[in-house]
Amino acid sequence: MRALIDLLINGKHWFLFLLLEAVSLFSLFSYNGYQKSVYFTTANDVAGTAYSIISSVTSYLYLQTANQRLEADNQRLYREIAQMKEQMAEAGLDTIHPHGLPTKYDFVNAQIVNATTHKTNNLITINKGEADGIRPEMGVVCSRGVVGVVYLTSKHYSIVLPLINVNSKVSCRLRGSDYFGTLNWHRGSSLCTYATGIPRHADVKKREIVETNGYSDIFPPGLPIGLVADIGDSPDGMSYLLTVKMFADFATMREVSVITNYTKPERRELEQVADSLMKSEDI
Amino acid sequence: MACQVLVLNQVHLLGYITPLLLGYMMVCFHRGTSRVVTLLWGFTIGLIFDIFNNTAGMASAACTFVAMIQQPLLNMFAPRDAAEDFVPTFNSLGFWSYLSYTLILMFVLHAVFYLLDAFTLSDWQMTLYAIVGGTLLSCLITFFVELLVRTRKVQ
Repeated sequence: MRALIDLLINGKHWFLFLLLEAVSLFSLFSYNGYQKSVYFTTANDVAGTAYSIISSVTSYLYLQTANQRLEADNQRLYREIAQMKEQMAEAGLDTIHPHGLPTKYDFVNAQIVNATTHKTNNLITINKGEADGIRPEMGVVCSRGVVGVVYLTSKHYSIVLPLINVNSKVSCRLRGSDYFGTLNWHRGSSLCTYATGIPRHADVKKREIVETNGYSDIFPPGLPIGLVADIGDSPDGMSYLLTVKMFADFATMREVSVITNYTKPERRELEQVADSLMKSEDI
Repeated sequence: MACQVLVLNQVHLLGYITPLLLGYMMVCFHRGTSRVVTLLWGFTIGLIFDIFNNTAGMASAACTFVAMIQQPLLNMFAPRDAAEDFVPTFNSLGFWSYLSYTLILMFVLHAVFYLLDAFTLSDWQMTLYAIVGGTLLSCLITFFVELLVRTRKVQ
């Protein structure tokens, strides 16, 4: 307290100086129109710059939220496109089509919590599981295209078998044609996978889009997978071996969505019955 | 102050140089004057000038600033063995010291005043001419007044 009093006594001329200067400057800006306008213009500029910087920093901090929102929007749009495509295809077969069709596909957004891209059997762990309605054999997509298939599930986590796993097999076709094949990864680059089974008489061009064909009950038809990067022959010479550059970048992927209600148990059961019958007949 | 308001304020040499003789009053504070007293005097002198010249805040800010630096500046030029009530004059300080002391004080006074008046550096050359010209003219007048006062005292 004494030190404070000493400071006030010893530095009283400084306080008085600041006070008198403040009074002078107040008079200057209050009673001189020119100085007042310059002061306010400059103050506005400074405040504008400061607000601009604050806004940039704030928007950067909210970038993750914005990204998640965009991802959700993308998924919604993809779902709508897929629904519309299917509606159009069905409308071609049957022109009597009721309005207000129920949503066919539901997506559960999830975040990747662990992933490998350099192994032979790469796996992806996502932070949604059975509690969120995820079951094995469900399709997983991201905003750019197909990611893989759910392999195992626990209550709150799921393991996804991505396209960059040697055990991954996904039916595909070339966009605009009915020729279909199977996607199969052969190790190496995590950017490319390979499509086999497309017959040699098919007209295949580089940069054609490869998409899901809807033959499996995992993915709806028309989901993009990648572009034809190279055209080669399969070992047996009967079909093409297409190098497909995938749209999904597994190294930077963070957000995915699981298609939760496309899988049709009825169809699967029927196919399983057919398989077992075929086997019993073979025996 | 009357001379400044009635006569010198009407002088606009080359259109923009106006001497500020109120600086002479700041020059004359003797050594050992309390900083609080010099500050209050400086502010009052500036305030009166502002009232008569419609330059609200400019002269009071400039004079307060000059009053703040007057004592340390005088201590720089005053002899070491000078008395506590040492008065800075042409004779007591010597020609060069008095000239330097007056020049610095006048320059600071004119610089603060004209910079606040212009409030921009877009026309800095004109502001610089006004500062330098006003400083030189005010120093000349200060010397003239100082000579007159001392001569009268001697008589």
